[in-house]
Amino acid sequence: MTFGRLVWKDLLRNPLRLVLTVLAGAVGVMAFIFLRTVVDLFYSSAESAQADRLFTRAKASITADLPLSYLPRISTVPGVDDITFYGFFGGRYGDSQRDFFGSAFVDPPSFMRVFDELVVAPREVAAFQADPCGALIGKELAKRYGWKSGDRVTLQGTIYPGEWTFNVRGIYDVRTGSLDTNSLFFPYRCLNEKLPDERKDRVGAFMVRVEDPSRSAAVSSAVDAMFANSPYPTRTESERAATLGFISMLSAIITAVQVVATVILLIILLVIGNTLAMSVRERTRDLSTLRAMGFKSGRVVMLVLFESLAIGLCSGGLGVLIAPPLVRGFVAVVGSQMGGLPADFMREGTLVLGVLAAVGVSLLAGIIPAWRAVRIPVAEGLRKVA
Amino acid sequence: MSTAPGQEAKSPLIRLRGVSKAYRRGDIVVPVLENVDLDIEAGAFEAFMGPSGSGKSTLLNLISGLDRPTTGVVEVGGQDLARMSDKELSDWRAGHVGFVFQLYNLLPVLTAAENVELPLLLTPLSRAERREHVAAALEVVGLGHRMGHRPPQLSGGEQQRVAIARAIVTDPDLLIADEPTGDLDRKSAEQVLDLFEVLHHELHKTLVMVTHDPHAAERADLVRHLEKGLLQ
Ligand SMILES: Nc1ncnc2c1ncn2[C@@H]1O[C@H](COP(=O)(O)OP(=O)(O)OP(=O)(O)O)[C@@H](O)[C@H]1O
Ligand SMILES: [Mg+2]
Repeated sequence: MTFGRLVWKDLLRNPLRLVLTVLAGAVGVMAFIFLRTVVDLFYSSAESAQADRLFTRAKASITADLPLSYLPRISTVPGVDDITFYGFFGGRYGDSQRDFFGSAFVDPPSFMRVFDELVVAPREVAAFQADPCGALIGKELAKRYGWKSGDRVTLQGTIYPGEWTFNVRGIYDVRTGSLDTNSLFFPYRCLNEKLPDERKDRVGAFMVRVEDPSRSAAVSSAVDAMFANSPYPTRTESERAATLGFISMLSAIITAVQVVATVILLIILLVIGNTLAMSVRERTRDLSTLRAMGFKSGRVVMLVLFESLAIGLCSGGLGVLIAPPLVRGFVAVVGSQMGGLPADFMREGTLVLGVLAAVGVSLLAGIIPAWRAVRIPVAEGLRKVA
Repeated sequence: MSTAPGQEAKSPLIRLRGVSKAYRRGDIVVPVLENVDLDIEAGAFEAFMGPSGSGKSTLLNLISGLDRPTTGVVEVGGQDLARMSDKELSDWRAGHVGFVFQLYNLLPVLTAAENVELPLLLTPLSRAERREHVAAALEVVGLGHRMGHRPPQLSGGEQQRVAIARAIVTDPDLLIADEPTGDLDRKSAEQVLDLFEVLHHELHKTLVMVTHDPHAAERADLVRHLEKGLLQ
């Protein structure tokens, strides 16, 4: 037998109580991880929104378009660093609703500059820019249909009638950010040339990168002022301002969630502490017998703390095992409402934090029972008939 | 440091001089032992008798280094226990004293062998050596065949014999037994007392036993009476 085995056997003294305590701890750890992830989600959506990017669209409606001729004029607004545009294409692939994915036309060179979170192999960038009807597709989209560079993809136009065929020239991933990897982008030229005159040179929105994010509000109003009296007034908003505004509205809720996460740690502390206190009290005579034999206080304290640590590790381990499926389920339900969530929403750091919290809290929970185990004089402890 | 039997034939193994012990209960001081002088030779087998509350257990606690006197000197094997720190007392007990309790005090979750092994965890013995010592100690008490049984699976008499094996496994000079037969039937009590005689006569242990049972006291070389904290 070893000291470790003694700890182990003592733990199993009351298996039902051990199981219940570990389960309570695990549920607590799981809830802690879940709540921390929810808080992380809110902030990561703000972090991924680009602070220095503005969207200029038609004030009339989100579906109305703007003349491409605005582009040079917006470029002259002080503080504008770069500009690109895009237009919603809305092509259909296949008949079923599930086959839907986003498609849009862009100006490849400026699009790649302004959306610098896009990750594309340099060779593919060149190929995409060289082909007047090349397509840049997202990683997930490519995976979904097994498409690769050189494949031809034909979309059924909805806004722009007819069949449109594009050559896949590159596959993009995103470093961070709100862009998904489920879309198809193709050059503006490919579409524009084939449009009747009255539909030519119209875009959905301009994306403006500002030199100084702190001045984005001023730039926004300058842009909108420029077109206030034109036939197509604009509305300009920053990506992050929109997200942060949303978050600050929720800040009280986020704080509440954080408080609850802390309260959960406190509950784990009390549950484990209570179990240990009971187990130590029941064993007063056993522990005093060990001390009579010559086990020093330090060892008896270790005995209790190791038990406590074991409970904490089991709780933490179990909690970490059951938390991800739960959080994934939650994200699957609310993810779309939150405007698409990053794929790595479940941070390893949060899981590690969950285990560390369980271990720290369990050790803390063991301190008082351990101290009580050795506070009583040996001779007195031996008199106790448990 | 340790005193082998016969090595210091003149000076007793246990020597108490002017020992008093009082407990505080709130503001009241309750005297339990008063001015006790006591010598116990190495290798002796002595029994203490006396009414409940007379201070027998308190005296055993002082002799075995579980407690310190309020005043006086408690010398065991030439060492003054009253001057030792808690840690030093722990080490001293681990090396010199084996305990036998009225209610056996075995850990219910451990097997007989594991219970006997407990005191050896404090020694530098290897796992294999520990196993050998445990087997030998259980053999002495006649329970070599019950090593894997846990206390609830053993009779009271068997549990007490396991406890005796645990008390002797480190080969201490001094065995302290507080009412070792108090919870046993006649037959089991006789077995335990037979064992004590073996330990006394063949292994030359010093045995100090508290008992209410005149049959048990009879087995000792000397019976002392304690009355209201005074040694008669
Ligand atoms: N830790 C303590 N605090 C206060 N009083 C105590 C303490 N330990 C013992 N006493 C008191 O000291 C007296 C002697 O106790 P002790 O246990 O030595 O008696 P005893 O002779 O062993 O009795 P018994 O035969 O019932 O075991 C009792 O009155 C007891 O209540
Ligand atoms: Mg007593």
